[in-house]
Amino acid sequence: MIDKLIQFSIARRWLVMFLVLVIGALGVWNYQHLPIDAVPDITNVQVQINTEAPGYSPLEVEQRITYLVELAITGLPYVESTRSLSRYALSQVTVVFEKGTDIYFARNLINERLQQAKSEMPSGIEPVMGPVATGLGEIFHYAVHAKPGALQENGEPYDATALRTLQDWVIRPQLRLVPGVTEVNTIGGFEKQFHITPEPARLLAYQLSFDNLVAALEKNNANIGAGYIEKNGEQYLIRAPGQVADIPAIEKIIVARRDGLPITVADVAEVGFGKELRTGAATLDGEETVLGTAVMLLGGNSRTVSQAVSAKLVEVNKTLPEGVIAEPVYDRTVLVDKTIATVQANLAEGAILVVVVLLVMLGNVRAALLTAMVIPLSMLMLMTGMVQTKVSANLMSLGALDFGLIVDGAVIIVENCILRLAGRQHHLGRTLKLDERFQTVFAATREVFTPSLISVLVVILVNLPILALTGVEGKMFTPMAMAVIMALLSALVLSLTFVPAAVALFMTGHIEEKDNFIVRHSKRFYAPVLAWALKFRVLVLSAALIFVVLVGALATRMGTEFIPNLDEGDIAIQALRIPGTSLTQSLDMQFQLEKAVLEIPEVKTYFSRVGTAEVASDPMGPNISDGYVMLKDHSEWPDPDKTKAQLLEEIGEKLSLLPGNAFEISQPIQLRFNELISGVRSDLGIKVFGDDLTQLLKSGGEIAAVLNGIEGAEGVKVEQVSGLPILSINADRSALYRYGLNVADVQDVVAAATGGEEAGLIFEGDQRFSIVVRVAERVRGDLRALERLPIPLPDGGYVPLREVASLTLAPGPNQISRENGKRRLVVSANVRGRDLGGFVAEVQGKVAQQVKLPPGYWLEYGGTFEQLQSATQRLSLLVPVTLVMIFALLMMTFGSAKDAALVFSGVPLALTGGVIALWLRDIPLSITAGVGFITLCGVSVLTGVMMVSAFRDELNRGESVEQAILGGAMLRLRPILMVALVAALGFLPMALNTSTGAEVQRPLATVVIGGIISSTLLTLLVLPGLYRLAWRRPKAIDNNGEPIAE
Amino acid sequence: MKSKNHVNKSIIQLLFSCFAIALLSGQALAETGHGEEAEHGEEGHIELTQEQIQHSGITLVTATSGTIRDVLPVYGVVATNAERVQSVTARFDGVIREVKKSVGDPVRKGETLVTVEANESLKTYSIVSALNGVITQRNANPGEQTTDTPLLVVQDFSTVWVELSIFPKDVAQVELGQQVRVLSLDSTQITEGKIIYIAPLGQAGNQAITARALIDNPNGIWKPGLFVNAQITRAEIAAPVVIRNEALQIVEDNPVVFVRGEEGFEPRTVTLGRTDGELSEVVVGLSADEVYVSKNSFILKSEMGKEDAEHGH
Repeated sequence: MIDKLIQFSIARRWLVMFLVLVIGALGVWNYQHLPIDAVPDITNVQVQINTEAPGYSPLEVEQRITYLVELAITGLPYVESTRSLSRYALSQVTVVFEKGTDIYFARNLINERLQQAKSEMPSGIEPVMGPVATGLGEIFHYAVHAKPGALQENGEPYDATALRTLQDWVIRPQLRLVPGVTEVNTIGGFEKQFHITPEPARLLAYQLSFDNLVAALEKNNANIGAGYIEKNGEQYLIRAPGQVADIPAIEKIIVARRDGLPITVADVAEVGFGKELRTGAATLDGEETVLGTAVMLLGGNSRTVSQAVSAKLVEVNKTLPEGVIAEPVYDRTVLVDKTIATVQANLAEGAILVVVVLLVMLGNVRAALLTAMVIPLSMLMLMTGMVQTKVSANLMSLGALDFGLIVDGAVIIVENCILRLAGRQHHLGRTLKLDERFQTVFAATREVFTPSLISVLVVILVNLPILALTGVEGKMFTPMAMAVIMALLSALVLSLTFVPAAVALFMTGHIEEKDNFIVRHSKRFYAPVLAWALKFRVLVLSAALIFVVLVGALATRMGTEFIPNLDEGDIAIQALRIPGTSLTQSLDMQFQLEKAVLEIPEVKTYFSRVGTAEVASDPMGPNISDGYVMLKDHSEWPDPDKTKAQLLEEIGEKLSLLPGNAFEISQPIQLRFNELISGVRSDLGIKVFGDDLTQLLKSGGEIAAVLNGIEGAEGVKVEQVSGLPILSINADRSALYRYGLNVADVQDVVAAATGGEEAGLIFEGDQRFSIVVRVAERVRGDLRALERLPIPLPDGGYVPLREVASLTLAPGPNQISRENGKRRLVVSANVRGRDLGGFVAEVQGKVAQQVKLPPGYWLEYGGTFEQLQSATQRLSLLVPVTLVMIFALLMMTFGSAKDAALVFSGVPLALTGGVIALWLRDIPLSITAGVGFITLCGVSVLTGVMMVSAFRDELNRGESVEQAILGGAMLRLRPILMVALVAALGFLPMALNTSTGAEVQRPLATVVIGGIISSTLLTLLVLPGLYRLAWRRPKAIDNNGEPIAE
Repeated sequence: MKSKNHVNKSIIQLLFSCFAIALLSGQALAETGHGEEAEHGEEGHIELTQEQIQHSGITLVTATSGTIRDVLPVYGVVATNAERVQSVTARFDGVIREVKKSVGDPVRKGETLVTVEANESLKTYSIVSALNGVITQRNANPGEQTTDTPLLVVQDFSTVWVELSIFPKDVAQVELGQQVRVLSLDSTQITEGKIIYIAPLGQAGNQAITARALIDNPNGIWKPGLFVNAQITRAEIAAPVVIRNEALQIVEDNPVVFVRGEEGFEPRTVTLGRTDGELSEVVVGLSADEVYVSKNSFILKSEMGKEDAEHGH
C-alpha cells in the first residue's frame, strides 16, 4: 500500500502538489478560526447557579434556596458532582458535568429543572446561571474613574455612585454587545438608590408604620395603560401616568391624613440618594473605584475578543461625560501576544536554523528548500487538525513542537534520494531520464522509509500515556501530546507523498553528490574513533553502563516541580482577613496595602476586588480581596537587572508591614484557575458529611486530633465554617402574646429598618433605580438604638423592640458547604517525609478506630492522593504496555529480538544527556522536561534503527561483521548527524529564549538538546560495539526485515 | 547477554522516569495546597514593629479614670404642666360685659381678663389672671350669660411636662429626681429636667408606665403634644479605669482589649462595668496607666486569626 502511495505520488506529482496547495490553504483558513490563548484551559465542564438573596443569612440561604436548587439538580444525566456554598445573601451551586458534555445541553437541562425549583423559593428570589465561560474568561478589566476636578451636571464631584451608574447604564450595555463577550461583570461603587429614611419617633408621632410608608410609595408610583376610546373615526390611546421622577416628587407623596391634614413622606422621613448594602467593592491604587470585567464566551479567541473589547472601550469613552474615563487595567492580549510572539520566535528561529543545517549538510539548495517546505506545510495541517479536535493554540500545545523532529523523516528521504540519484548519474555517466529518475526516487524513498516511520510511531507511542492523564494534568498536557502527534503524522504523510513527488519534480539536471566540508571532516575524524571504539568495545560499553547508573542516581537527587509556571508578567495578591471583617474595614486595610505596594517603583497599578462582584462567579466574603499588581514594562524598571523573584521578595516585605492580613501571592490566570477547579487541594482531604454543623465541627476536630498524632502529617486544617458575628433578634413569644403581636410584625420592622424594604422603582429613561425604605445609618449602626426600635401595636401605641425580642450577638456559620446534596466539612492535611499511600492507610485505620460518628454521619477520603493513585495506576499499566509495543514495533521491523533490543538500548543513554543538561542549567525535573524525554526516545530510536538497518544491509551483502559495521556506520554518519543537528538546533532558540512564556518551554528544549548529544554519541560509538558483541559470529539473517511496509 | 541486561535496564529506566513524572505531578499539586503560615512569637502575643504600627494606623491610648454617663433612652410626649392652668369662671353668674383677651394673647398675673355684671347684685366685677401665661380657650363674649363652662383658660407654658413611656424592663431603673435630657426629634433643641412623678398605674395597651419630667420652657419651643426623644441619666459614675469603646473586640465570646506589653500586644479578656456611647468601665483585667490599642484594634484581631483565614469553595 505504501509502495503504491509513493508510486502514485511520483506519477501524479502535479496532482499531489495541487492537493498540498489545497491543504495548505485549508490550514490558513483554519488558522483564522483557531482559539488562541496563553495557556491551556483547565476548567472542567461546569455550570454555576448563583442565587442572590439580599438579607438572608447563610443558614436561611441554605434552607430556603441552596437545598431547593440541589434537589432540582439531583438526577440530571451526565452530572459528575455537585457542590454548593451558602453564605450571606448568596447561594452558589456548582454542577460539574462529565468530560465532553456539551455545555449548552447541560445548561438547558439545568434551566428546565430550575423553573420548577423557583416556584418553591421565596418570592423575588431568582436563581441565575453563571456566564458561559471558563477560568480563562476574564480577559479584560477596566476601571471607571473621574479626573480630578471633573464635576457632575449638578455641580458635584463624581462619587462612587455616579461612576457606578455610568458603568451600569452607559459602558456595560455597549460592551456586552461585543461579539465573544458573554458577560460584563461589575464590582465597586454603589448602585444608585433612592433612600427614604424614616425617623422612628416621627412615625410614632403620626401613628404610622414602615408598612404604611411602603404602601403609600407603591400606590403613588405607577403608570397605567387604560385601553383606548374611539372618537370621530380616530382611536385615542389612554394612559394615566403616575410615576414619580425625582426626590421632590417622592417627598410630596401623601402617607396619611391626620386631623384633616395630609402627612407627606417629607413629614416622616428624609428622602435622598443612598448607598446599597453592597457585598463587594473595588479599589485602584489605594482608592475606591468601579471595576468592570469583560468575560469571554467559552471557546472564544481571547486575543480577538479582548482586542475587540479594547477597541469598543475607546468608542465608549467618547460617550462618557467629560472628565470620566474608563481605563483598561488588564488586557489579556498583552500576555497572549507576548506568549505567542515567544512561541513564534522560537518556531521561526528554529525553522531557519533547520534550513541552514539542511543547506550546509545537503549542499543542495533545492533539496534543502524542498525539505524545509515540510515545516510550514505540516504546521498548516496541524492547524486544521487542531481546529477539528478543538485543541487551542497555546504555549503548551505549540510549545513542544520541534521542527527538527518534524523534518527528520523528510531529511532522511531527501538525503537518500540525493545519494541514490547522484550515484545512479555517476554510474550511468549522464543525467537520468524521467522514468529512471522516478524509479530511483521510489527506491531511495522505500529504502529509508522504515526508520522514519518507526521513529514517528515511537514518538506517538510514548505520547500515549500522556493522553491517558485525567483531571487537570490531562487538560494541561493532552493538547500538547495531541499537537505533537498530529504534527508528526502530517509530516509523515508529507514525506510519503509530497517529498517524493517534489524530489521527482524538482531534482532534475545534474546532481552533484559530494560530502561538504563538515561531513568530510567528520568522516575523517569518525573513522579512527569508530575503529578504536570497536576495538575497546567492552571498555566503552562498561563506561556507558556506569555513566547511565551515575546519571540515574543524579536524576533522583534533582529538584522537582509539576509544571514550570508561566510567568504571566503580572502578580496577583490575595489578601485574607478573618471572617466577619466588614467591607469597610477590609477596604481600609486594602487601601493601606495598595499604598504600600505602590511605593515600589516597578509597580504600575494595583487594583483589587474586595468581596463578591455583581455576577458572583467567585463568591468571596468581604474579608477577602483579589488584587492584581500590574508591573511596568521591564525596560522601564529603575534597575533593569532586578529579577521578578527579587521584586516578589520586595513586595512580600512591604506586605509583611501590614498586620491583620494573610497573603497568597500568585498570578492572575493561576488565581482564577485555582478558584474554579478547587476541590480539595491538599494531599489528603477527609470529608465529614452530616446534618448538624456543631456535630460536624466536633467530629472534624476529633479527626484533626487523630491526624496530628500521625507521623508525617503537616498543616492539618479544619475547614473554617464559623466565625461570622451574627446578631440574632429572637422574638419572645410570651411577650408577643401580651401585646397581641405576630412574630412577623417584629421581623418586618427589623428587616425594614436594617436591611431596607424595596418600595418600587424610579425610571430615568432606560435606567431604573430602586426606592428603598430604610432607617438612617446612625440608627442602624447603633445596637442600642436598634434595641428601642418602636414596634407599632395593633391598637395604637408602640413597644420598643427589646421588650418583645432578645438581641444576642454570637458567632454563627460563616458559610455552609455542601457536596452532592449533603452538608460537609473538610479536614485537610499534607504529607511530608513519608509515602502517601501508607499514610492514608494509617489515617483510615486510626480514624475508624478512634472517631465515633453518630448515625447519619459518614466520611469520605479524597484529595490529590486520589488523583495520584489513579494516575500511578494508569501509568503503571500504560508505560509497560507502551514499552512492549515499541519493542514489538522494532521486532516487526527487524524480525530479530536481538536487533530490536540493540536499538532499544539506546534509549537510556539518550536520556542521560537530557538529565545532565538539566542539571547543568539548574532546571528541576518537571512534566515539560518529561515530554522532552519522550521526544528523545523517538530521536534515539530513529538513529538506532537507521544504524542497525545499515549494518544489516551490509551484512546481507555478505560483508563480515566488522566490515559491515564500519561501512554501515560511515554510510549513515551524514544522515545521523543531520537528524541530530536539525532536532537539536530546532530547539536551540527555545532553550535560550528568555521572553514571556519561555520558562515553560525551556526545560523541554534543554532536555532534547542535551539528550541528542548523548544519543548521537551513543549511536555512533556505543551501538557499533554493542552490535559487534551481539553478532559475534556472522550469521545469515532472514531477509524479511520490513514486514510493516507490506 | 549484555544486551538483555540493557533491555532490562532501559525498561526500568523508562518506568522510573514515567513514575517520576507521576510522582512529581502529585507533589507539585500538593505544593499548591499550602497556605502561608504566619509566624508569631509567644502564644497569644502579637509582635508588631514600629513600622507596622504606623502602616496599619493603630493608635495607642493610656487607660485612665473617667466618668461614664449611664443613660436610658426613651420616647416621650410634651404635655401641658397641669399645675399651671387656670380655668377662668365667674364667681357670681351674670352677664359678661367685657372680655379683654382673645385666644393666644399673653397675660400677666393680676391682669383683668373679663368683667361680669352679677345677676344678683347687678354689680360689675373683674376677674383677673392668676398666672403669667397665654389664653388658650375663650368661651365667653360680651352680652352672654355665664354658665358652668369656663369663660377662658389661661395656661402657663414656661414649664412643661414630658410624659415618658417606661417599659417593663426599664421600670426598676427609673427613680424620682433623676436627671432627664430632652431632645427634639431633629436633635436641634436640647434641655434638661428632672423626673417629678412616676405613675402608680400602668397602661394596659402597651404595658408602659408613665414617668413625668418637668422642664423649663422659657421660649416656648417645647409645644405640648409633640413627640420628643429623652435620655434618663441613671448614674454618672466616676470609674477608676475606663477605655474607649472602639478598643473592644469580641474574641471567643469575650470582650478583649489589646494591651501593649514588653513583647508586643497581648489580647486581654476584660470584665466590663457600665458603659455609655463612648466609654466603658473596666472592672477586671486592665489597670490605669496601661497602654491599649484604641483605633483599628480590629487589625490586631485579624492578625491573631489570619492563620485560619482561607478562601474555601
